[in-house]
Amino acid sequence: MTPVSSTMSSLPGPFPRGPGPRRRPGPRRRPGPRRWPGPGVILPALAATTACFLVLAAVVPWWLAPTDPLAIDPGAAFSSPSLSHWFGTDESGRDLYSRVVHGARPSLLIGAAATALGLGLALVLGLASGLGGRWLDAGIGRLVEVMLALPGLLLALVFIALAGPGVSTTIVAVGLTTAPGYARIIRSQARALRGSAMIESARVLGHHPAKILFRHLLPNALGPVLVLATLGVGQAVIWASALSFLGLGEAPPAPEWGAMLAAGRTYLGSAWWMTFFPGLTIVATAAASTVLGRSLQRRAVGA
Amino acid sequence: MPVVPRPARPASLAASLLASLLVLTGCAGSGGPGGSASDDTPVEGGTLVYASGDAEPTCLDPHVGGNYPQALLAGQYLETLYTKDEEGKIVPWLASGAEASEDGLTWTLTLREGIEFTDGTALDAATVKANIEHLQDPDTASSTGYLAVAKIKSMDVVDDSTLTLNLSAPDSALLESFSMPWVAIESAQALERSQADNCAAPVGTGPFTVSKWTKQDSVELTRNEDYTVPVDGADHAGPAHLEAITWKFIPEAATRYAALQSGTVDMIDNAQPDTIKAAEDAEDIDHLDAPRPGASNRIELNSSKAPFDDAKVREAFIRAVDVQDGLSSLFFDTAERSYSALSSVEPMGYSDESAFERDPEQANRLLDEAGWTDRDSQGYRTQDGKRLSLTFPVSTNQSVPAEQSLFQQFQATAKEVGFEVKLDLLDLSSWYDVLGENHYDLVSAPYTKVGPDVLSILFHSSNTVPAPSGYFANHAQVKDKKLDALLEEASATTDADERQAKYTEAQKIVLEGHYLLPLYDQQNHFLYSTDLHDVGAMTAVASPTFHDAWLAK
Repeated sequence: MTPVSSTMSSLPGPFPRGPGPRRRPGPRRRPGPRRWPGPGVILPALAATTACFLVLAAVVPWWLAPTDPLAIDPGAAFSSPSLSHWFGTDESGRDLYSRVVHGARPSLLIGAAATALGLGLALVLGLASGLGGRWLDAGIGRLVEVMLALPGLLLALVFIALAGPGVSTTIVAVGLTTAPGYARIIRSQARALRGSAMIESARVLGHHPAKILFRHLLPNALGPVLVLATLGVGQAVIWASALSFLGLGEAPPAPEWGAMLAAGRTYLGSAWWMTFFPGLTIVATAAASTVLGRSLQRRAVGA
Repeated sequence: MPVVPRPARPASLAASLLASLLVLTGCAGSGGPGGSASDDTPVEGGTLVYASGDAEPTCLDPHVGGNYPQALLAGQYLETLYTKDEEGKIVPWLASGAEASEDGLTWTLTLREGIEFTDGTALDAATVKANIEHLQDPDTASSTGYLAVAKIKSMDVVDDSTLTLNLSAPDSALLESFSMPWVAIESAQALERSQADNCAAPVGTGPFTVSKWTKQDSVELTRNEDYTVPVDGADHAGPAHLEAITWKFIPEAATRYAALQSGTVDMIDNAQPDTIKAAEDAEDIDHLDAPRPGASNRIELNSSKAPFDDAKVREAFIRAVDVQDGLSSLFFDTAERSYSALSSVEPMGYSDESAFERDPEQANRLLDEAGWTDRDSQGYRTQDGKRLSLTFPVSTNQSVPAEQSLFQQFQATAKEVGFEVKLDLLDLSSWYDVLGENHYDLVSAPYTKVGPDVLSILFHSSNTVPAPSGYFANHAQVKDKKLDALLEEASATTDADERQAKYTEAQKIVLEGHYLLPLYDQQNHFLYSTDLHDVGAMTAVASPTFHDAWLAK
């Protein structure tokens, strides 16, 4: 069998399947009076609620916000938050709550699609690099390094400058930007698994390489990456918002969080709610995705 | 056990986003130091920091191209043959007078004597000739100045201070043209340099000179120590009070206003309606409202192609959109609705409110008549399976956020009768490209010019053909023989009443042809610190000049 390359030798072994390692036996607490659940429980619960709400907003926005997010009412422009307009109204009298809710779909869609694209690309690069020959590995390795050397947003901006702004461009731009990071992890997983006893036995047993790839290698390599992807969706949403903030995403007046931030910044001094609520939503989305990702991560490694 | 590497942290990014938001709001709350003027004696010296929201010019010589940002700057270092006095009358400045022949084809221009450029050369007839030739040279790529002097066929230098202009057709707007910064007079010696050199530091006779231009940041202007006002009788005829001007470019409106509030800049242009409103309550900020001459701010409807080649569809659009409600709320009543093709400062402007009354029902009827009878699933009208869709490129450099929001409202109200309006926010050069390729149905382009002759530029069929710079001003692409004739006659007549009658007639044709939707005057609001005194002097195109201004600091 091929020796594990020197760069990989320091990396830990493959992702385990089956029963995870036992928890370290610690001093057990006595089942005393009911305690306030620690942040380890509350935060993920809060994050899960936020995520559910966001997904609901993305799938059935009309349930949560029946007002048309594009309907203008110049007479009611710049209304501060009230019972009739929970988040206030913008400069054209559009209901901001409705716009924030309806903005979930494009934002999450861009976030999810970009992450999926990044993962897909990373899977090809990472597996080719991890399982292919030395030259291929070196070639892809350099390419990934070059991509990693450039700041992500810059890479996205360059791509948009070449391809022109728009939703699909944003997805591709953010996807491209996230791919190299994922590719590295997939490569290291593939490398490590390739030398594992499990794969070796599968080989010895004479399994077809495709079967080894899909039955054993992929599921094991993907685990940590999926956890990362959960974290990545939040990051992608921020990037997508940043790009539309710069006027490179969805065209106005489409309800898009970043674009709403951009529109509100003109009136920051007089109508704070125009930036506050879209901003808060972006923060909440990113935070929820981070907390969920971390808790998944903890669960996966069993820590 | 595998350790999953730490990814980039969205949470920390989010936190810094929130932090910067807080910083921003915090900034907006603080006011500048309240300085009150002790008395009215001008203070000598000091540097005025001016922050412009207009696009940074690519060339500081307003002959090249010729847009308003260039005029704003050039007013400080270049002067014109004529200018506009406080009553709006065109009066001689560098020139001492001009005389037209009986047939209007020959003009004799006389110049003041003893005026020197900042490079030491003297102003004479040959200099003026060289300037007009420079404007007419295709290599200069002038658009505004080029059109203004288009009728000058040849020139003869009679003596040092007398120049004869031979025109191809009479031009009643000639002196108005001579008052514009785009036709300002530069040193002939300086014009002989390469275009790049001349663009970097044009040489004129103005109260300031260009000393340094840091691209994407600022232009440094230094006082011309030898300056004297060319006309007699000025209270303050010598050099400017201010020692220098730092002309910054701060494109972001809120940042610009925050800079004024904090005192880092003394004056800003392109003040936003909400900030003008806020500044009314601020004790240390004054407001200067100076509508630009020439055209009103309007939306032009491209009549050269479907669907606006049909006058009914054009009228339907004009009747469909709601201007007034958005205007009041977005502009905080700082802008008045216009019903004219011309600016309210133009005495020959003709207004017709009835042509622009909102009437969605009639709009629907007109669209039915025009054959746009079907509707698709999204509620847009269709004809033969084609959607009634309008492309509306918007130059972000030439429109303020409030105006962009107003356009979004038009998009919403136009949809009610079945128009789809596609707004496309573009930077200036992409916007020019789109216009050049005729990829637009609606467009809003400011056009500043002194006098009603701007109508010829905007609506004469010859101006559907691009100028050397590639720009054409007849965006509605009006090609009407009767209108052309009227505009030519108005331009040829020397009789003021006849001129007025012809231009009125021409404006009626334009308004009745539904080629444009007037919105308001070209907004030209300045906010400045109360430390800055004696502001208000203007060029003929309402750009401020700072010869009299002084800083009490």
